[in-house]
Amino acid sequence: MPRVEFRSRPRTVFVRLITDSFTRQPRRKLLTTVALALGTAIATATLTVALDVGDRLAREFRTLGANLRVTPEADTLPLEIGGVDYRPVDSGVFLSEAQLGELKTIFWRNNVIGFAPFLDIPIVITSVGNGDYLKSYPNPNDPALRTTLIGTWYRHNVPVPNGGGVFSTGVASTNPGWQIEGRWFSDDSAEAVLGSNLAHRGAIKTGQMLEIRAGDARSQLIVTGIISTGGPEDDAIIAPLVIAQRLSGKAGQYRQLLVSVLTKPEDAFSQRDPKSMNPAEFDRWYCSPYISSISRQIQEQLPGVTVRPIRQVAEGEGQILSRVQALMWLVTFAALLAAALAVASTAGTTVLERTAEVALMKALGARRRLVGAFFLGEQWFMAIVGGLLGYVGGRGLAYTLGQHVFGVSPSTRLILLPVILGLAAAVATAGSLLPLRRVMQLDPAPALRGE
Amino acid sequence: MMAALVQVEDISKTFGGVRALDRVTFEVCSGEWIAIMGPSGSGKTTLINILGGLDRPTSGRAIVDGLNVGTLGERELTRYRAEKIGFIFQHFYLVPYLSAVENVMLAQYFHSIADEAEAAGSLARVGLGDRLHHLPSQLSGGEQQRVALARALINHPKLILADEPTGNLDEANEQIVLEILRELHRSGHTILLVTHSGEIGRMADRRIELAHGRLMHIVANVT
Repeated sequence: MPRVEFRSRPRTVFVRLITDSFTRQPRRKLLTTVALALGTAIATATLTVALDVGDRLAREFRTLGANLRVTPEADTLPLEIGGVDYRPVDSGVFLSEAQLGELKTIFWRNNVIGFAPFLDIPIVITSVGNGDYLKSYPNPNDPALRTTLIGTWYRHNVPVPNGGGVFSTGVASTNPGWQIEGRWFSDDSAEAVLGSNLAHRGAIKTGQMLEIRAGDARSQLIVTGIISTGGPEDDAIIAPLVIAQRLSGKAGQYRQLLVSVLTKPEDAFSQRDPKSMNPAEFDRWYCSPYISSISRQIQEQLPGVTVRPIRQVAEGEGQILSRVQALMWLVTFAALLAAALAVASTAGTTVLERTAEVALMKALGARRRLVGAFFLGEQWFMAIVGGLLGYVGGRGLAYTLGQHVFGVSPSTRLILLPVILGLAAAVATAGSLLPLRRVMQLDPAPALRGE
Repeated sequence: MMAALVQVEDISKTFGGVRALDRVTFEVCSGEWIAIMGPSGSGKTTLINILGGLDRPTSGRAIVDGLNVGTLGERELTRYRAEKIGFIFQHFYLVPYLSAVENVMLAQYFHSIADEAEAAGSLARVGLGDRLHHLPSQLSGGEQQRVALARALINHPKLILADEPTGNLDEANEQIVLEILRELHRSGHTILLVTHSGEIGRMADRRIELAHGRLMHIVANVT
């Protein structure tokens, strides 16, 4: 017998069958791979953009204002008319600002992008002037001069407990969309910004000095800017929190806290009462950035408070985000469905072409399941190749979409790669089900007779 | 007289209303070479398919190596084909994207474990030691049929079923394949070979002649 030379290849026959079939008969398999690559490219692009758009839109929404209001649990009802709080300075319950750093220790602390404490006190403007000359108003009881001083932080450094460093926050973070002429006050100065309506009524300009009175306490403030928010702030004076605390005698205290948090849209699950959830459901709810679960975490961290979502903001955001994401999912589904149909078409033709090959395998003693596994293995091999190509192409498409539609480059999310490969395998499997059934049920004798 | 390896007892097979085999009975001893002859449509291939476990008789029994092939379940029939039968087809039926040695290994894989060295040895035995890594499209018809022969022999089957194995070959290649079959017969293999050729039929120990699905004659060849 002649000496036989052969190449030693450790691959199993199963792998050889699949890879040799792919490399030596590539034409129709290329069609399937391209269909899968196109479908997964669109899926990659839409999922990348959808995931980024959620964050991006949520951050944009946050420029419109806070979405959570924290008030003392036992507070009296506010008595606001036209933005003016008519409650006596010493009525109601107050909260301590010393605890505010705790907000950055909750489970979803990174989603808390800002907060600002507020202390509103009714005041009267007694005089206004330039430098050392103040002109008193003839009638200090004139209702036009009665207003609210809103004490808050513009940009304040809050120490975070447990070595969390310092968190800079205030209305600069919670309300970056407020328009101001001039500049904001410094939190440690006797400065204020005036609401545009109030400034117009009192003919007060930036740079002037105001003298105000709250009960017997008086203060002088330099106007650094005129603010226009479209809300009750337009009729008020906004000043550093410490000034409001001094005028009201409530050092280190505030009455209301507005918090800006990044959340995911509410859904049926998030709206369930947590008390009705089993432990697994509760964990899932608690570990999801729903506005309700974050509210709960804030309430746990700041005892004695009530946390309520600002519904108009939260619900509007939720609806827009839900619709954008639903659109993205729809596009993804349509792309994958089209890919599955293309796979089904080519797989059906392939099975017809390879009837004799399948019949031969069965004649040689291959079990039906093994023949099915060969066929499905080929489809999955193409799914992996197509999925990888689709992921790379989809990244480029997402970059273009993100730049042109949202003006931002989506971040690379490697977590999407296994998801996309899984989707490609699922699409390949779904598209192959009918041809696979035909392969497994094929009767070899007629096929080998050429019938 | 050796024990019968194959017992065909009163076998009939109908397709729809057409009777392809009609009460055929014969026996084949171990080591015999039987030629099955007859005109087209006489039931030769149907008989081979029933003995090979690719088809089931409508009535009667086909017993091969003690197994009643017609009553085997799907799983047992698959094992039967892998372990007891070596098929050789007129159209070779090689997997086009697998090399010669891989085509032989395929039969090993379905039987038990693929062994490349053994598959290469089987190809060398049919004179294709230098064609191991050629694709079927790179081989002549005769070489392809020899690959099919190597594939049929690799699992040491009890029974070789050859359905017009030289039907697609030129004369030179036909002689090569027939010489291999003679060699197999001499080494004790049991062969059932379907052929139209009287010359090939006379090489066998016996000829079974079918017509219209019926067994007409069993003729013993004198050597």
